Amino acid sequence: MDRSRLLVWGAVVLICCVPVLSGPVVGLVDLTKPPLDGVGDGSATIDDVQVPDTARFDRALSSDSYVLKVPDARIHVAAIEGRPLVSYKLSIPAMRYSRATTHFLSADDTGWVAVSLATETFAPANVTQSSYEAELSLILRVNDTKQTLHDGPVTVEVTE
Amino acid sequence: MTSADGVGGSPVTDRFATVRSVALRVFVGDRLGLVVFLGTLAFVALYWRVGIFITDNYTLANALVALADGHLAVDEAVFGPHLETPGMVLHEGAHYGRNYGQIVFALPFLWGLEVLATVADPGLLLPMAWALVLVALGRESGRVLGRPTLGANAGAVCGVAAFAVNVAVARPLAPRLFPVAALQVSAIVATALGVVMLYRLVTRLHDRRTGVAAAVVLGLATPVGFWASLPKRHAVVVALILGTCYALYRSRLSPSPDDLVSPLSFRATAYAIVGLTTWIHGGEAFGLFLALVVVDIPTARSNDIRSLAVVAAVFFLSMTPFFVTNALLSGNPVRPPRTFLSAQYAAGGPSTGSSERFLRSLVDGLPPALAAPMTVALDYNAILLGQFVSGAETLVTDPGRLYRVFVRGGDIPGVSKDNFSQTIYLTVLEAAPVVAGTAAACAAGVANLRQSAGGSVRWSTTQVRSRVRAFGASPAAAMDAFAVALGVSFLLMYVSRLPLHAQLTVRYLHPFYPLAVYAMARQASLRRVLARHWRAGIWTWGGGVLLGSQLFVVAVAAGSLGRGEAVQVHALVGLAAAAAFAVLAASSAFTKRLDRATAVAGGLTAALGTDFLLLSGLAYFPYSQYALPAAGWVADLLATA
Repeated sequence: MDRSRLLVWGAVVLICCVPVLSGPVVGLVDLTKPPLDGVGDGSATIDDVQVPDTARFDRALSSDSYVLKVPDARIHVAAIEGRPLVSYKLSIPAMRYSRATTHFLSADDTGWVAVSLATETFAPANVTQSSYEAELSLILRVNDTKQTLHDGPVTVEVTE
Repeated sequence: MTSADGVGGSPVTDRFATVRSVALRVFVGDRLGLVVFLGTLAFVALYWRVGIFITDNYTLANALVALADGHLAVDEAVFGPHLETPGMVLHEGAHYGRNYGQIVFALPFLWGLEVLATVADPGLLLPMAWALVLVALGRESGRVLGRPTLGANAGAVCGVAAFAVNVAVARPLAPRLFPVAALQVSAIVATALGVVMLYRLVTRLHDRRTGVAAAVVLGLATPVGFWASLPKRHAVVVALILGTCYALYRSRLSPSPDDLVSPLSFRATAYAIVGLTTWIHGGEAFGLFLALVVVDIPTARSNDIRSLAVVAAVFFLSMTPFFVTNALLSGNPVRPPRTFLSAQYAAGGPSTGSSERFLRSLVDGLPPALAAPMTVALDYNAILLGQFVSGAETLVTDPGRLYRVFVRGGDIPGVSKDNFSQTIYLTVLEAAPVVAGTAAACAAGVANLRQSAGGSVRWSTTQVRSRVRAFGASPAAAMDAFAVALGVSFLLMYVSRLPLHAQLTVRYLHPFYPLAVYAMARQASLRRVLARHWRAGIWTWGGGVLLGSQLFVVAVAAGSLGRGEAVQVHALVGLAAAAAFAVLAASSAFTKRLDRATAVAGGLTAALGTDFLLLSGLAYFPYSQYALPAAGWVADLLATA
């Protein structure tokens, strides 16, 4: 058996063995840790927060729909341990609309960290005013406790 | 074509080598076909998400769970909130799925996953399979390219490295997702087989270079890659259609001693594949059947009683699974589940229109041999022929809608609204800009005809007719006619319902993508461009994928574009490139001077198709967990970009 054949069969055996080692029968190691393990545990010190004062309803590209665009918020992480959560939430009471995006922080997230809110598309009929008063909040969740980092009004302007 | 590499050895290894070489010939043709097959598997897995994409995926997944439990009736919504999902039907108080052929095809993959999961970590099964495909791909590519050692080593190293990366970021896969994964694996395998069939067809017609180019374009630059890993029928139906094409073409070739079966067997195989298609979607199978009969009967080598008897017997035999399934469900072998009351709209019944009465009068005038099956079709499935009639009516009364189906979509009233106000509808040209090559090359072909006929349109139609007669016996001409008949058949079947929401890439006309690639491969001028400037095409494609995909990501992030907007950016850029390629491809019919530019434009349009496949999978539609954890890691990176 030449070397290249050996290499191929070695690769095949290796690739087939690892899932078995991590499998239900052998179980020497567990290589597939759930991604949510330890999420929300730990601690974080946030000493500064920057939030936008306006957001926009923009006409979508080549369509009459509107896209809600909220600029990123920024938080300054002074110290962090574990995997705390930060949720960034916008609610527009006049539209009975509310949306939050949750971010998992990790130990290397120190200094200024940008927190984004996913864009969403609205049917043209749902956007009737020229601007909306909305609430923007940033909440830190650690060890089943909530800490409000920011909670304040924001204007959502409708651009034509 | 191919040779077994087991030299000498025990009888057992000899027999194994024989089985392997026969399987290789039947399914992928030759070693290069195997490379195409493995390459397609490796590519589409990159953006494979294990989960439910469209609500009717629930129907198939729940029906598969029921079938795996040993019964047809679906009594539990394992997936989704309830059983009233699109496509689920209600018959005598029980729920049933549809596309049973596809579900049965997925069954062995489900068993395979379940057996492997008893010893292996479920979360690592799919990365393992992908890494093994990479190892095999390296080994086979090396052999094809005449560098077996290099290929084997590279495959082994890349396979292990890719596996290690996936293991490093691995996450669990819930065994309850196995039925969905099995449907997806079966669709991926079907996609790869379909792509290989196009490679084999074009290689038989022309040469291996054109064959590989056609296969690569189909798998990597058209929505065939988009629907490859989604649990819907499209991938399987396209594979069956391409199988029919290949079998039909082989049935027209002179037999050679190297052949495994006779031309008549190939002819019967073409019908058998159509018969199997009924088990997945009766309507599409019927459209395929009509196209096949219309082309096969007039162009066959012989229509003697024996040939026709063999073909008919095999055809009816191939519909046995369809008949049995229907008989089990409804007690009536020719009544498929699609004709039952939809569970979703249990209040309203199936409607029959005036077109049905009109058709009945037409059918009565036909010879009994044709009228009998048609009457059956009418009696039990008025939808079948009604679709063609309303399609023809639509084409006459509203030809403008073809523009919305083939050229520019954008914001279409009624479509965007049902797509959650997002402009995620793409036309054929927007979804696969590379097919621009077809229209232009075909237009150039017509121009050539007119030129040789003295510029008169009247002359050219006469000449087309005489050409059809002259080439009636030509296998390639029969294949071309079949491609046209298939296109017409699918267009008539669906045009009255298009444009429609939840299509994304006009998936109802999914067979148009392989047909378009086939049409391009048939153009002598485009083959010349490929032969002379394939390097320019490949380099442009590579650059367009590596740089272009990053530019799209940057543009979408910089403009914080919504999903519909991002899709429209792809549409507009694609249309611009498609226009350039169309003009250049048309010019290639008249002059050789622009060949390099044509190759570059072709490579660019192909790259835009690939970019859309990768980014739609990794960035715009990240609806579930990724089969390859490393792909999920990349998708997370793109999401935070």
